[in-house]
Amino acid sequence: MDNQIIYLIYILSFVIGSIIGLVLSYKKYTEPFIKKNMDMVALIMAIIGWVLVLNNPLLMVIPYYITITIGIFLIALVIGMRPGYGRYETVIGFSVAGIIWIIRMGLT
Amino acid sequence: MNLMADILLNVIIAFLVGSVLFGLQRKIMARIQMRPGPPIIQHLLHTFKFFIKESAFPKTAAMPFYIAITAMLCAIWVAAVIVGPVTEGSLLLFFAIYALHKIVEHNAGSSSGSPYGKMSCVRAVFSAAAELPLFAVLIIIYLKTGTMNIGNIVTYQGQYGPLIWGIPLAAMMFFVLILSKAPYSPFAITKGKDIISGYETEHFGLLRGYLMISESIAWYMLLWIFLTVFIGGLSPIGYLIGMILISALVALINATTPILNPNHSIMVQVSLAFIGVLGSIILLTVY
Repeated sequence: MDNQIIYLIYILSFVIGSIIGLVLSYKKYTEPFIKKNMDMVALIMAIIGWVLVLNNPLLMVIPYYITITIGIFLIALVIGMRPGYGRYETVIGFSVAGIIWIIRMGLT
Repeated sequence: MNLMADILLNVIIAFLVGSVLFGLQRKIMARIQMRPGPPIIQHLLHTFKFFIKESAFPKTAAMPFYIAITAMLCAIWVAAVIVGPVTEGSLLLFFAIYALHKIVEHNAGSSSGSPYGKMSCVRAVFSAAAELPLFAVLIIIYLKTGTMNIGNIVTYQGQYGPLIWGIPLAAMMFFVLILSKAPYSPFAITKGKDIISGYETEHFGLLRGYLMISESIAWYMLLWIFLTVFIGGLSPIGYLIGMILISALVALINATTPILNPNHSIMVQVSLAFIGVLGSIILLTVY
């Protein structure tokens, strides 16, 4: 597939993910980000998303652009949440994926 | 790929990336100012929102110019995408597009009949006197590389390294130009809060939507030109990282500086242009 089309799909995935994340989080949380609790669902999505984006070669059976598109969508769902929410989940997700990436680089 | 498809693809990418970068900029500014800030896609949502809002036209508007000007602004930045990422054409054309942008900005203000628009229109002429010398950076690039063609400039950098090291003052001048086009910038006198939204004050509904699309494409294109001309041909990921970094730097500057008085803004920009042109010529002569 043409590279530019793939990048457009990534961008669209991010935008659509952010919009859905924003709408769903406003339904789920009726008050501003004060309690600073961890959202387990968002945390799992952030970890899966960041792992899929940074470590897509681990899933060799699926074409890389599908893995990254799904990953970006999940990342955007969390990043796009109501202001404040999803912040810690994103940092943890990125850290976990980063550690896996470093280990993978070390092994190869 | 078919040329029309290529243009459409690049314009959509420019619009979406430009909008998200504007949103990111607002988010970073908010975080610096200890506010939660809007979601990153807020600018994009605003743009879409204007397309479903009611459009009304002021009695004082100069029809049909008042409407046509928004389409013109869109058209010139679509042309910039064609000159830039699609065909990698001449930088001279890009200069012409930027000059046209200043004229359109001026006319958008004057066509509405609003005093705020008119004030912004005067400031647009005023700021053109400072921004166009900043754009003279293109002449310095020509003196250094011997070409105005974007493709050839990229090839030149492949052989001799990024131009940002060879002509740093020219890069600084172009950065100031980028900064002047950012919302909330110290040089954003055409949209200073003292004149509401400047030339956009009387453009709402569908027309504002078009203006916002143009602004997003313009932002993407200015960053694209900066990265291509001063850093060299990057991979799409390289462009994305570069654009995010520049947007973050601009957000930092915007969040920590007030919008300057028009006279001060022009003087600062002219001074930087003077230092940049003179310094670059001295550097080119010495090395």
